[in-house]
Amino acid sequence: MARALRFRFSRDERLKYIAHLDVLRLFERAIKRAGLPVAYTQGFNPRQKIVFGLPIAVGLTSSAEYADIEFDEEMTPESFISRINQSLPEGIEVMEAVPVRNMGRIMSLIASARYEIAFTIPQAMDQDTLSGIVIDFLDQEDITVMKKTKKGMRPVNIRPLIYSLSVRKPDGDGYIMEAFLSAGAENNLRPDLLMQAFAQKTGLELTVESIHRRAMFASDFNEWKSPLEVADD
Amino acid sequence: MEVWDARSILLKMMRVKLDDKLLLQIEKPAKYTGNEWNMVRKDPDAVQVRFAFAFPDDYEIGMSHLGMKILYHTMNKREDTYCERVFAPWVDMERLMRERGIPLYALETYTPLSEFDIIGFTLQYEMSYTNILNMLDLGGVPVLAKDRDESHPFVCAGGPCAVNPEPLADFIDFFVIGEGEEVIHEIIDAYKEWKSSGGNRAAFLEQVAGIEGVYVPSLYEVIYYDDGTILDILPKSEKVPDVVRRRVVRDLDQVDFPDDIIVPYIGTVHDRIMLELFRGCIRGCRFCQAGFIYRPVRERSPEKLNELARSSVRKTGYEEISLVSLSTSDYSALPAFCDELLAFTEKEHVNLSLPSLRVDNFSLGLMERASKIRKSGLTFAPEAGTQRLRDVINKGVTDEDLKSSVQLAVAGGWNSVKLYFMLGLPTETMEDVDGIADMGISLVESCRGIADKNGGSLQITLSTSCFVPKPFTPFQWEPMDDIETLTEKQHHLKDRIRRRTRKIVYHYHNPRISHMEAVLARGDRRLGKVIYTAWKMGARFDGWDEHFSFERWQEAFRANGLDSAFYANRRRDFSEVLPWDHIDIGVTKEFLIRECRKAYEGDLTRNCASGCSHCGATVYGAGICFKQKKNQDQAGG
Ligand code: SF4
Repeated sequence: MARALRFRFSRDERLKYIAHLDVLRLFERAIKRAGLPVAYTQGFNPRQKIVFGLPIAVGLTSSAEYADIEFDEEMTPESFISRINQSLPEGIEVMEAVPVRNMGRIMSLIASARYEIAFTIPQAMDQDTLSGIVIDFLDQEDITVMKKTKKGMRPVNIRPLIYSLSVRKPDGDGYIMEAFLSAGAENNLRPDLLMQAFAQKTGLELTVESIHRRAMFASDFNEWKSPLEVADD
Repeated sequence: MEVWDARSILLKMMRVKLDDKLLLQIEKPAKYTGNEWNMVRKDPDAVQVRFAFAFPDDYEIGMSHLGMKILYHTMNKREDTYCERVFAPWVDMERLMRERGIPLYALETYTPLSEFDIIGFTLQYEMSYTNILNMLDLGGVPVLAKDRDESHPFVCAGGPCAVNPEPLADFIDFFVIGEGEEVIHEIIDAYKEWKSSGGNRAAFLEQVAGIEGVYVPSLYEVIYYDDGTILDILPKSEKVPDVVRRRVVRDLDQVDFPDDIIVPYIGTVHDRIMLELFRGCIRGCRFCQAGFIYRPVRERSPEKLNELARSSVRKTGYEEISLVSLSTSDYSALPAFCDELLAFTEKEHVNLSLPSLRVDNFSLGLMERASKIRKSGLTFAPEAGTQRLRDVINKGVTDEDLKSSVQLAVAGGWNSVKLYFMLGLPTETMEDVDGIADMGISLVESCRGIADKNGGSLQITLSTSCFVPKPFTPFQWEPMDDIETLTEKQHHLKDRIRRRTRKIVYHYHNPRISHMEAVLARGDRRLGKVIYTAWKMGARFDGWDEHFSFERWQEAFRANGLDSAFYANRRRDFSEVLPWDHIDIGVTKEFLIRECRKAYEGDLTRNCASGCSHCGATVYGAGICFKQKKNQDQAGG
């Protein structure tokens, strides 16, 4: 039982074409349909008290999105999950929830994210060759690309924002890049920008087929932890 | 029968597939993927009739349209029918679809348009006509009705512009004149009957021509004089009626109104619950087509509306309800109804928006309670700049009314006021045009003190549209101002405002679009060729400034030996046969002529609530005319 919960939700292919703000509105309406006793902000334009961890870009699927929500009454995670899922459209689903102590800190907590990026290249390459290219790419100390910042387009060295990068070749066409990247309000590295930089620096004519967010982490005394694990803080 | 079996096999095979490469290249891909909350899901193989409701404009506009929500809901209540939605793909999507050979499809099942039994277009705006041709073509359906055979869907159309169906006669198999929620069932029943009878296309069209409110243009012949005016419009067979009478729903409480409307993922123009208070308008402003073609006024009961508000919020999760009607203040039970509704919306954190309210103490208080967020803009529609001209158009608003309303609003904290006018109204002189600027200026001056006291500054916006004469109005015989005159009036107004004040923003419409709107609104069926040529030359989304090309349309006219001025700028005689004379909307031609004469005298006509003016709409035996008679009877007895 708690007044506030932190939850993880997923988004699959069916709803990946909508933008972050549309996802927020979708949740607000689902909460209303479910008749959940969500708390509202005071003031002129009362809004539901719900805060999301990291914006979700158009085209991205994810199994690890996080948000905090506050209620006017005590709410169990189980009851929340079952009620909200009945009101959410197919394609978005709440997977787990835990009580959260400091509602709304989620945005500043998020520090890194893990992605799986499926891509293709015109000429087939074996995994070792491609892995070699990735290692060479990571060997550079400076990978400067133009990045959209609050102050407009700026050259930014993204190398420090890449924590790990590896490639694998699954059965069938294409390759999967597994990327562990800095994320969050401060030093966010978008996976599409990473791939752009990778293509640019290596000269590979790659086409990104899909991007999936596999996990998102909070930094807790030099340890990566799930945002649900640090909900007690 | 064979044809049908072949089609149902095809149907299983034909499903449009979209991929990321396409969807991530275009703007707002969610316009094309469907799957919204409350979208109706059925097994297409388990129904007998597949209906594609087609809105000839962008998804964001179409999804805001109440009529579509009503008919979608009504049709899908039937187990034997599956109604799906189709919108005009925006130009970026269209280009990719054509490049890749992807046919236009319905959002529910991704089925190509050509696989449906019936395609129904709604005609909300004349400038969307070329989109109809484009959508049919993209959907693999022959654009011309005469080219369709038993393997093709029937194409029908309804909505306000259908009161003059003639310009679209070449493309549409049959029109529905008037309100659709009852007649659509008769059409679907007729379709099922025809389908099982194995008859040919013509047999079905003859059959539906017998349904009241249905007009089959191919069953009529239009004969012209040498000068291009009409000699006569004649049915080709004895089985079809001489005149097609508009359909009307007699009791709104008895027909379905949707509470489980589709909730789009992306923002649309009207992204909220819409509660329809009543149909029709008691006022009878002489320029306003809606004021005549929806007569008589019929109200929905407050009990029903409150019930709908509750169930709609529960089923959609919407955070806003809007009351819709042509003039909200005229709803007879407004205060009591709003009290109850507000008690509910406040508790549920739902905003209530109240467009088209007359501004007075009551309504300002109401707006204040209803919506805590948007105390920014109020709109007024004086329509004309002088009392004389307002009397001509039967707009019963005085300068004093307006001044005190605006002062009230400004004192109440509203800091932006928009005023809507028309340029080119019948009898308009430069004095009337000046009156628009002068009204704005005098409002700025009279509100100066009040706005300062509130610490805000008042922003006044004047906006002028170009008057377009429409069928079934007292001005249906009037010439429209030509483009040069309208442009001159706009420039004159702009100058006059700029010379006097910087506090007023002035907006005006593109008179070239209005000119084409006027042509299509009062056109005859010879325009079919012009529309076809314009579309072939690339016309679509003509209502959007960035896509409209006046030169293209003029070229299409020249190519077909016609002149747009004949339709837009010519005064018609009362005795002339009008292209829509075989359509009967209930309001009589005699009444419209009387109103036109009164307009030139500057004579006002009372509204239906204060007394009947005998327009003819009593034939429907419904709504306010009925109430009216009762009152008179009581007074008499
Ligand atoms: S018949 Fe009379 S009351 Fe009825 S709509 Fe016409 S004018 Fe109004």
